[in-house]
Amino acid sequence: MSEIISQSVLRGLAAEWIAGGKSVAGPARVKPDLVLYRTLRSGDDLLLEGFQRPSNSIKDFLFPKAEKLYGYKIHGNSIELIENDSPEPAQVIIAARPCDAAALPILDHVFNWDFHDEFYNRRRAATTVVTLACSAHDENCFCTSVGLDPGSERGSDAILFALGSGQYEVRCATEKGHALFDGKTEKSERTGKAIAGPEKRFDAKAVRAFVTTHFEDPFWNEHALTCIGCGTCAFSCPACHCFDIVDAGPAAGNARVKTWDSCQFSTFTAHASGHNPRPVQATRQRQRILHKFAIYPEKFGEILCTGCGNCARNCPVGLGVLSVATEINHG
Amino acid sequence: MSKAQEFEPKIVAYVCNWCTYLGADLAGTARLEYPPNVRIIRLPCTGRIDFNLIIKALEVGADGVLVSGCHPGDCHYTAGNYHARRRWILFRELLDTLGIDLRRIQFTWISAAEGRKWQQVVTEFTDQTRKLGPYKELYATGPFPDVPAPETASPGVKSFAAESELREVCGKLLAEGTVKVVIGYGARGPVVVTRAEDAERLVWNNRCFSNLTAYLKRKEIKSLGKAAVIVKPCDEKSLVELEKEAQFERKDAHVIGMACEGVDQPKCAHCTARTPRFADVTLGVEAGPEPQTSPSPNRFAALMAMPPAERMAFWTEEFNRCVKCYACRQVCPMCYCERCIVDKNRPIAIDPAPSTKGNFAWHIARAFHLAGRCVGCGECSRACPAGIDLALLNISLHIAAQKNFGYEAGIDPKAEPVIGSYTLHDTEAFIR
Amino acid sequence: MDNVYKPDLMEVTRIRQETPDVKSVSLRFLDSERARNFSFRVGQFGIFSAFGYGESTFNICSSSNWKDHIEFCFRKVGRVTEALWKIEEKDVVGFRGPYGNGYPMEAWKGRDLIFLGGGIAMPPIRCAVWYALENRADYGEITVVYGARTVADLVFLDELDEWSKAERVRIIRCVDPGGETPDWKGEIGFVPHVFERAQVAAKDPVVLVIGPPIMIKNTLPILDKMGVKPASVYTSIENRMKCGIGKCGRCNVGPIYVCKEGPVLTMEQLQGLPADY
Ligand SMILES: Cc1cc2nc3c(=O)[nH]c(=O)nc-3n(C[C@H](O)[C@H](O)[C@H](O)COP(=O)(O)OP(=O)(O)OC[C@H]3O[C@@H](n4cnc5c(N)ncnc54)[C@H](O)[C@@H]3O)c2cc1C
Ligand code: SF4
Ligand code: SF4
Ligand code: SF4
Ligand code: SF4
Ligand code: FES
Ligand code: FES
Repeated sequence: MSEIISQSVLRGLAAEWIAGGKSVAGPARVKPDLVLYRTLRSGDDLLLEGFQRPSNSIKDFLFPKAEKLYGYKIHGNSIELIENDSPEPAQVIIAARPCDAAALPILDHVFNWDFHDEFYNRRRAATTVVTLACSAHDENCFCTSVGLDPGSERGSDAILFALGSGQYEVRCATEKGHALFDGKTEKSERTGKAIAGPEKRFDAKAVRAFVTTHFEDPFWNEHALTCIGCGTCAFSCPACHCFDIVDAGPAAGNARVKTWDSCQFSTFTAHASGHNPRPVQATRQRQRILHKFAIYPEKFGEILCTGCGNCARNCPVGLGVLSVATEINHG
Repeated sequence: MSKAQEFEPKIVAYVCNWCTYLGADLAGTARLEYPPNVRIIRLPCTGRIDFNLIIKALEVGADGVLVSGCHPGDCHYTAGNYHARRRWILFRELLDTLGIDLRRIQFTWISAAEGRKWQQVVTEFTDQTRKLGPYKELYATGPFPDVPAPETASPGVKSFAAESELREVCGKLLAEGTVKVVIGYGARGPVVVTRAEDAERLVWNNRCFSNLTAYLKRKEIKSLGKAAVIVKPCDEKSLVELEKEAQFERKDAHVIGMACEGVDQPKCAHCTARTPRFADVTLGVEAGPEPQTSPSPNRFAALMAMPPAERMAFWTEEFNRCVKCYACRQVCPMCYCERCIVDKNRPIAIDPAPSTKGNFAWHIARAFHLAGRCVGCGECSRACPAGIDLALLNISLHIAAQKNFGYEAGIDPKAEPVIGSYTLHDTEAFIR
Repeated sequence: MDNVYKPDLMEVTRIRQETPDVKSVSLRFLDSERARNFSFRVGQFGIFSAFGYGESTFNICSSSNWKDHIEFCFRKVGRVTEALWKIEEKDVVGFRGPYGNGYPMEAWKGRDLIFLGGGIAMPPIRCAVWYALENRADYGEITVVYGARTVADLVFLDELDEWSKAERVRIIRCVDPGGETPDWKGEIGFVPHVFERAQVAAKDPVVLVIGPPIMIKNTLPILDKMGVKPASVYTSIENRMKCGIGKCGRCNVGPIYVCKEGPVLTMEQLQGLPADY
């Protein structure tokens, strides 16, 4: 026995959630050639088919590109801090890809080892993730090389499997998932199944072995020569989480703001003295791969990459984790 | 409305130290009465009034901005105001494209002796601004009609005939030691080839999007030795501008030009370049100047047909997607500053956060720093992961440079660059 | 909400200009509860902030035995430090911390201590010296070699005099050749050379060396000749930081997050790490 839901009921539900004051995000077509996860205005905004995956990731809704940490007022020589303590509105992310959802447990570690980032945690607690299992993969997908697959439930509260003719099987994985769908689905005999994943493209262990032993290696320079250091890979990655804390003063509204940052930027590690431990692009590319395949795994036991392929799809010059990893693995 | 509630506009006046400031001073000592709404900010010369300041004034709540300096011919630094006038001409067009209300910005010349003119200008501008009401429309959202989307790249790969010749030529250049590296296209994107046998990796097809001249500035590439760079006729234009700006010397690179059949980018529909003009060697079948395909619907015209408020709403929505990755800057061949204005922090001129203000400020700065310099290669739009139609801003300034100064970037190596030069008869129509 | 990024507000109680571009600042918590509960280990750092300008990382350079205030000492180099340069007594700054591991002062008990510092490296050494002097019986011979480019660049000079009055303490001041003044009474030369010349007789000492990379590099062979093992040589790493709490991804040297697992590392640890600092 399974629980199923039709596309129109699903859209209706999304509309209901929106009407009920929830913030609902999901894939939407922004331009003819651009699909992004964005806040949906209506159930009809939701795009369910006809694209590989959105160009951004669902991290936008848990770890936004700019987050005010606190404001301050300056009265003479005293300072008043102003915090926003209002509760996070409930949020549903619908039709997330498995490679997006799987990044949330990864981010959970970062935002909670010793110190707890409540900005992230509060959003996380207020968010329900409804994943849509993939029905296609493209040449940039490589979830299977990092231990995931197109039907992975990791990080999802509920997961939908397309049954064809506008029907989906709904499997709820958590209480939050049940809260959304219980009583909204129909019983059925049909069960869904994700497609077979892309063929394994590289051996992550071999990549880790290489990066931990080849810190100084001509490979990095050769590989990074065409990288322009734009950071697009990091910004569209569901797992990348580097940030900056900026304070632009009164013109920016007297606030400390956490903003996305990227290890691909030349100023990322630059010291005030002019010294920069990572002076050239090769060292920055190395850091990105090292972080994903060795540093993070050493700390938290898993790879800092879900194989979504966004870094390659968005890179203006055709690089990305997949190309580096395959080059490392296959020489 | 009672008297007390009547709206009193806040006006910021940027004035030069030598003429207008003294003129305003004279108005004061002569006890000429004028509205107290103006906050005067004194700068050395109109040539030093950065466009960022004008925007900043509006951002922090000014309802109108007055910019004033010495009359043409009277500038204390000889030509500061001529340079300023040129920038204002272009800047107004950019602001108009963004939907910023040009009635909120008044440019004037007021000399040290013209206390009375100061009185008049301030009075009239204050009255006008009072009638316009508070400037609430700045960066406001709202409905706007669709702008036709640029054509998208077709998925397939179509190799062009000159590919094998290209590999041969590059292999030979490397083998003979004429160059140490070839910057070209590979299957996935740009490649840097240093060994003759690797010339086989080069491709020439409808997916050769990148403007490879952007790599010439990169230290890592420079350190490899003399480079051959493969250019499409459109990319070649950036070499013309870079050479004018002393960023590039022909002897430092071997330019391999490709006669071009189009690479499935929006710009190709309008392209009349088609055949390289200055390359050391040109490969492929030389083509005529007429565009290959019929031009796509005119997006810029559609944008400009909207009323300003709708244009503003359009840009607010576009810019709100910006994540400040700066890929648009990184791919641009003409963005070569050692340290970009957004990476400077003393002072911070542009809010580094991807906030509405911060994004507008960034996009205004990016577009305007490229005024009269952008060669329309389209790389910024292509690179943007948020799909922001940056080309529309570039087109706006391109048209402005052409219309006002007859200048087209990347065409005539001898033509004087628009910014950095001036004539005595640049238009004055918008200056009081 | 428990906001880990929210700073404590601290009042500036004293400012001293140490050199033309270095100042030291004393702070006290405005919140008396926080002041009572606050404790830290020498060698830890804080993220200090000037409102309207941003945050910056500095060592807490006071001793952890001083209960009523903390101190930091900074060189004017950029946006935040320029803003801090302008603060006055009674102004309020932000403080987050203490962060990082600090020096293992417990483990150092019973050992001879050698402190080698160059330039602005004095603040992170100073706190440890004071701590050791305040617990004098716990430690053996103490040697401090401190140098700067010129006489004008030496910080905490008066405290050096004070330290030298304590028992079993040897203080050696030096300036780079050409940086001396006519009445300079200290040594002339670079810290490693001056240290070598001084022939410090220490048995199995703990060495804390902080300074520019070149100074550290030239010091290591000398220590090696003295038979000091890399596990007994400590330094404090200054990778660029933003969050200070292991989140922002900026400060790592290989797998080590300097803000959490550092900034204090031994040479033995560093030798096993990639040169990412
Ligand atoms: C653990 C630790 C302890 C430290 N302890 C101390 C201490 O006790 N005392 C001390 O003085 N310092 C200390 N530092 C160093 C100190 O943190 C930096 O010097 C300080 O943060 C500089 O801040 P700033 O805002 O003034 O500089 P910023 O303006 O932020 O400049 C710093 C960085 O900004 C960038 N930058 C921006 N604009 C420019 C430009 N025009 N040119 C060049 N770079 C530019 C550069 O990347 C530069 O590295 C410590 C650092 C660490 C990590
Ligand atoms: S590194 Fe690339 S493939 Fe991996 S999760 Fe990030 S964007 Fe996706
Ligand atoms: S790999 Fe690509 S997306 Fe990432 S920084 Fe380099 S050029 Fe940009
Ligand atoms: S601004 Fe854009 S279109 Fe113009 S030269 Fe730069 S990358 Fe090309
Ligand atoms: S490339 Fe796009 S998202 Fe990135 S900074 Fe430029 S406009 Fe913004
Ligand atoms: S000095 Fe007045 S405009 Fe140049
Ligand atoms: S300073 Fe942010 S991770 Fe270490």
